[in-house]
Amino acid sequence: MNPHLSGEQISKCLIGDGTPQETQHARDCAVCGAELARLESSFSQFRGSIRRWSDQEEHLSRVREVAAVNYENHLERLLIPASVDLPWYKGIVISVKELIHPPKLPPLEITSKPVKLASLRGLYGGHETTAGIGSVIVHVAVVALLLFAGTLKPVRQAMKEIVPIFAPDLKPLQPKPEQSKGGGGSPQQTAATKGELPKVAPKSFVPPIQTVQDPKLTVNPTIVAPELPNITAGNYGDPLGKLGIPSAGNGIGTGIGPGKGSGFGPGSGGGFGGAAYRIGGGVSAPVAVVKPEPEYSEEARKAKWQGAVLLSLVVDENGVPQDIKVIKSLGLGLDQKAIEAVQKWRFKPGQKDGKPVPVSANIEVNFRLL
Amino acid sequence: MEKGLLPELAPVAEGPCPGELQDFDSLVQRHRPRIFRFLLASLRDREAAENLTQDCFMRAYKARDQFRGGSSLGTWLMHIAANLVRDHEANSRLKFWKRKLRYDVDLNDVGDWMPDHQKSPEALALAREQVEAIWRAAASLSERQRTVFLLRFVEDMDLLEIAAVTGMKEGTVKTHLFRAVQSVRFGLEEGK
Repeated sequence: MNPHLSGEQISKCLIGDGTPQETQHARDCAVCGAELARLESSFSQFRGSIRRWSDQEEHLSRVREVAAVNYENHLERLLIPASVDLPWYKGIVISVKELIHPPKLPPLEITSKPVKLASLRGLYGGHETTAGIGSVIVHVAVVALLLFAGTLKPVRQAMKEIVPIFAPDLKPLQPKPEQSKGGGGSPQQTAATKGELPKVAPKSFVPPIQTVQDPKLTVNPTIVAPELPNITAGNYGDPLGKLGIPSAGNGIGTGIGPGKGSGFGPGSGGGFGGAAYRIGGGVSAPVAVVKPEPEYSEEARKAKWQGAVLLSLVVDENGVPQDIKVIKSLGLGLDQKAIEAVQKWRFKPGQKDGKPVPVSANIEVNFRLL
Repeated sequence: MEKGLLPELAPVAEGPCPGELQDFDSLVQRHRPRIFRFLLASLRDREAAENLTQDCFMRAYKARDQFRGGSSLGTWLMHIAANLVRDHEANSRLKFWKRKLRYDVDLNDVGDWMPDHQKSPEALALAREQVEAIWRAAASLSERQRTVFLLRFVEDMDLLEIAAVTGMKEGTVKTHLFRAVQSVRFGLEEGK
């Protein structure tokens, strides 16, 4: 038999659950008694430490509560009132009831009175007037600066919207702008017939008439025109014209064609007519005066299609665009819309020597979705 | 055991007195230290212990009509406190992020709580080590074991009282207490 108590037995003795023999042994045996006493002492220390801690905390909380003198009904006041402390389902029932039959509230009793507040003046240490005047001065100065900047020339120039109008590409065989003149035949009902162009001379003494009369002095008929591709024919006429009854065109003057003057083709003066002037070389560019915005086509709007249409046109002497052609297409109906818009445009015509002249130009019409 | 050293237990053992519940303020005054101590030892958290002490008396006040005098007032209050501890443990099990904080009682403070300072420094250091070991062991106990252990060795209740407080049978109390003491003993031996 083990002369001493096991750990379990000592534990049992410690909690007062040991058998009488075990208790007796613990009392008699020095070793077991010492072990038990040691454990009890430890527990006693533990108990003491807890009590001390608790007393300290208790003391601290007493110190904190020392201000609370009136203890009457303090527990009652801590309790939530019965009217508030309701179960959740009762709360829902009451809410629904109040939703259907909203309870009539007693008339509102106004228990507060308006109070006159102290003036805010003085909050900023008496600098209110200075600050106010300073603020006004700063604002006026900024506005004046903006207005002044608006009157400056570069700014006004920049504010003007500039329509991109530029000269079309030069074609190699086109006559030079200085030679861009026309001529007109003696007034006849039909257009100039196809035929051999008369000799080109600086001055026309004898017009190229189709009905030859007996001349006193034979002078070959000439026109004032640049060198042009000539054709061999039995009569004088427009080398670009059509075959038919001989005619010098329905223009006015001594030339050939529908124009006016001693040259050839449409237009006036001498030279080769029909072509408009081009910008540069003494010819000023036309300026758009009225320019309605182009409309967007429905398809392009749906497709969110953007870009630019390049148009070529001739601005005549009256500033009306003529002969509008699409050079760079955008598609989706935007070309047509661009042409429609540019047809409504009106220009200040381009000028040469102070006179309005027809000028050919290219215009880029931008389509942008905002 | 040092039962004689616990004079504050004496009035509790007297049994219910009808006038005592009427004069609730004096009841609070008398029982509050004990309830607070138990809660403090159980939770190791002063604020939680104070709140639960408050709750304990609140519950007692609300249910004072239901007290039939089947046990002593002290036991009844301690029963409420033990239930509160159990609820608190269940709640804090959900609040797992608070657990670390709760067990983080600074054991260096234990020295300030040592009962008598007349001992020699060696004895004091030894006692301090033992107390720390018991604290640690108690903290690792399950909630039931800790409650039973504290009621037995801090509040000096006997097994029947503990059974009444915890609502367990005496045999169950014995089992829990035995396991708790075994754990604490192992803790003490490990600490040596």
